[in-house]
Amino acid sequence: MFSQYFGQYLLNEKYLTKPQLNAAIEYKQSVHLKLGVLAINAGYMNSQQVSQIHQMQAKVDKRFGELAVEAGFIKEEQIEELLSSQKFGHLLLAQALVDKNYMTLEKFEEAINKYKKKYSISESQFDALQKDDVEGIINIYVNLESDKYGIEIKHYIALFMRNIIRFIDSEIYTNKIIKVEEYKTKWAAHQKIKNSIILQTYINADEVVFAKIASRFAEEELSTVDEMTKDSVGEFLNLNNGLYLVEMSNRGIKLDMEPQAVSFEKVISSTYVLPIELPFGKMELIIAL
Amino acid sequence: MTENLFKILICDDSMLMRKKLKEIVKNCGCEDVLEAKDGQEAINIYKESNPDLVFMDIIMPVKNGIEAVKEIIEFDKDAKVVMASSAGTKEHVKESLKAGAYDFIQKPWEKEQINKIILNLK
Repeated sequence: MFSQYFGQYLLNEKYLTKPQLNAAIEYKQSVHLKLGVLAINAGYMNSQQVSQIHQMQAKVDKRFGELAVEAGFIKEEQIEELLSSQKFGHLLLAQALVDKNYMTLEKFEEAINKYKKKYSISESQFDALQKDDVEGIINIYVNLESDKYGIEIKHYIALFMRNIIRFIDSEIYTNKIIKVEEYKTKWAAHQKIKNSIILQTYINADEVVFAKIASRFAEEELSTVDEMTKDSVGEFLNLNNGLYLVEMSNRGIKLDMEPQAVSFEKVISSTYVLPIELPFGKMELIIAL
Repeated sequence: MTENLFKILICDDSMLMRKKLKEIVKNCGCEDVLEAKDGQEAINIYKESNPDLVFMDIIMPVKNGIEAVKEIIEFDKDAKVVMASSAGTKEHVKESLKAGAYDFIQKPWEKEQINKIILNLK
């Protein structure tokens, strides 16, 4: 999931073009991570040191790790740690970009450092991001601390994202949450959560994406908005909201909800809109107080 | 009681959930499956058909699952109603059991949970 965020960042900052990113995403499935990229990502070596070792490797038949330790650039324990670390998605993307000559090691080092700085990401937060920790990502992209019920909405979004990953698609990317005075939906499944907090929740998308979400959740082919499609997206929202009620109940907040429904072109006033990009199109999670 | 005569009523406002649950119980050898889309329909069908087991959602239009369990138990104190809901809060579980529900399963359910309940009651 983090590779989507990092890929989007590289696009926004013009490190890459969209066709290059797409080609690299396709290629990353078959990529083998090399120690140089791992060491730069972890901040153990800089790109100059990595290039120096690459040049030495052309002359001496020794492994990267061995030469880097001999040169005093990295400790043996750090090499072991890098080798045993899991394959982080954004690193596979970075390796694919380097392999395809779309990006140099220097540019990758610059991009990852700027990314950390731009979002004020601490080392532990970066760890969470790399492990695709949804809460970690939400903490960076959804800032609602000072809003009424901001914390509760944030919990809701994190749970929703986990359920999208679990039931619909793991390759998701969220843009920044926005607050708008008025929003007109396309196809929207909606459900009211009530009691001490009232939240109107909506899953909104155009016909094609709405049907695709339904199809993924129902595990059957659905291509138009018919009764089963509406039922499936509504039930996905209902499932998510039921789990939210459980989570809030465990935090001591007793909530209830009304049956879900689906409508077309509904106007919602004063609401939060979270745009979510899925591999097959865009949807919005809409939350109105 | 032979396996095929074991009658099950599935009550859920989602036709997708009814369809999925029906597939599981049929795979478990229960061919006699009735469906209701809200609590009131479930009460009516229960009174007419006296099923051996009911799977009951909670959040539904017309009449919710907990109200429906109360009425079903009033009609038949031995009724076996298993609540199947995503809203498995402590409060809902407590209210359901107090109303006379036999068990509570949290959605998304696993096929094995459904099979186990049916096998225990057959």
